[in-house]
Amino acid sequence: MRILAKSVGIFVPVFLVATFVTFALRSLSGLTPAHLQLGESATPETVAAIEHEWGLDRPFLTQYGDWFAGVLRGDLGVSWYNGADIASLLLQGAIISLSVAGLALVIGVIFGFGFGFLAAARRTTWVDRAITGFMTFVSVMPSFVVGIALVAVFAVGLGWFPSAGFVPAERGLGLWLAHITLPAIALSFDTVADVARQLRAGLVAAYRENYVTGAIVRGLGPRRIFFRHVLRNGMGPALSVLGLKFPALLGGAVVTESIFGMAGFGKFAADSAQRGDVPAVQGVLVVSVVVVVVFNLLVNVILARVTPASARGV
Amino acid sequence: MVLRVLRLPTGKIAFAILLVIAALALFGPLLAFQDPLEGGAGILAGPSGAHPLGTDYLGRDVLSRLLAGSRISVLGAAQVTLVAMVVGVIPGILSVYLGSVFEWLTLRLADTLIALPFLVFAVAVTALLGNGIPQAMFTVGIMVSPLFYRVTRAATLAVARSPYVEAAIVSGATIGWVVRKHVWVKVLPPIAVALAHTAGVGFVVVSSLTFLGIGVQPPAPTWGGVLAADLGYLSFRPWAPLLPTALIMATVWACNLLADAIRDVSGEGGKALITAKGVRA
Repeated sequence: MRILAKSVGIFVPVFLVATFVTFALRSLSGLTPAHLQLGESATPETVAAIEHEWGLDRPFLTQYGDWFAGVLRGDLGVSWYNGADIASLLLQGAIISLSVAGLALVIGVIFGFGFGFLAAARRTTWVDRAITGFMTFVSVMPSFVVGIALVAVFAVGLGWFPSAGFVPAERGLGLWLAHITLPAIALSFDTVADVARQLRAGLVAAYRENYVTGAIVRGLGPRRIFFRHVLRNGMGPALSVLGLKFPALLGGAVVTESIFGMAGFGKFAADSAQRGDVPAVQGVLVVSVVVVVVFNLLVNVILARVTPASARGV
Repeated sequence: MVLRVLRLPTGKIAFAILLVIAALALFGPLLAFQDPLEGGAGILAGPSGAHPLGTDYLGRDVLSRLLAGSRISVLGAAQVTLVAMVVGVIPGILSVYLGSVFEWLTLRLADTLIALPFLVFAVAVTALLGNGIPQAMFTVGIMVSPLFYRVTRAATLAVARSPYVEAAIVSGATIGWVVRKHVWVKVLPPIAVALAHTAGVGFVVVSSLTFLGIGVQPPAPTWGGVLAADLGYLSFRPWAPLLPTALIMATVWACNLLADAIRDVSGEGGKALITAKGVRA
């Protein structure tokens, strides 16, 4: 409960400031839907008419207040580009992005923890060095590089996977999985590398602690020592990194969704930004802040459950 | 410190690569011996004497486009690092000395900024402030500044609590004098590590944005743009993405290598970076 209050307490002011600043920037920059709708043929009169229609000639604080009240009800306004409801556009995109990010997270957890365990269990051997070296290499590969390589090899070269598009899960699980596998792998590389390195470091450090020596002296089996003592104390940093990685997955989606031609959250963000569709961009920011808060909260709760030190508030 | 970094083999490699990239940024647009915007006769051509890396879907020389595009990447990365350093370092030092309210505020702010997806924000800002790399890089710089804040703060804390600084304070030294005389020296190595690391992040961000076509007007040549153009014609030129990819990765790798080399030679100061994540108090 205290964790909950703390996380929300930090993000609410940031949320207010971020949205306020984007609103202020819009006012200052003079962006209006008129440019989108009229293009070159805009005259001062028609611009004023459209601004009036959208309520942009009202005082700044009134606009912000109205918009904010809408956000609290889950209403993010309508797009300047096509007049569609932004909340439902974002929801459509979010289903695609969450499919990909979810699978990327699963891959990240499985391989990150797998490699991390392996390197820590065989620490200071060639296995450890090979894994650490490989992870360093992987971590400098930007997700669009991985994405392009995957498309070139597995979609264009071997033809094992479709190179672009998205199919909802209702139209066949296999088809859905085939479409999201390559983008999820591209997105997961960074997570795998970071989780593996943090887990290795955490476990190796935990093995050096006095309580492990004590447990060995007390005659406990290696399995019990690993699961009850080393793992619970050593996985904290890896879990925290996982928490920090989720926003990175969200950001990475902007790029990978463009490579794989998926109309997800990230593609929506990039397209809206290029069109100058301000309300849509503001909606994107609202949703990403909310998603980040929720995910941080989850990780903190898990962390408090699993690792003894963070339960004591250290 | 520069000499000691250069003595390491990894430092030499990193320096050499970054020097080449810097030279490309300075002279690349001049070296591009063909107009990077001018379409030629053959489109999607393979490597030849006239076009060492072939031509793209409009018949433009790929090598010239890569050379001409290097400046925007380097400038973008430099901007991210500079903004992040200025925004992060000063509050980092001040947070140790300005009292608990400022300390609490900046700590929470740093925690929050680092948790937000900076690429999404960078993209969003280009919609509000006009479509340009500088606007996006400024935003990214602010959002990655917590790295500088944390390492500076950790190093400053370590100095402020060490006996010789306490002795100086007791004998009547002012805080300003302590910062200039003692803190500054200890803070520099972790800042250097963070600089190299952030430059790597900056290159990835510029490449990602230009890959998406954000921040630049279409005909302008960029590394990311060349890559995006290659992606559409993979079945004709499957090897095409290799060179722009290698260019981007080598740059990022060199930055990380340099960060590691600086960390290795700076000993005590570099350790602050490793423990920085745990700094709360």
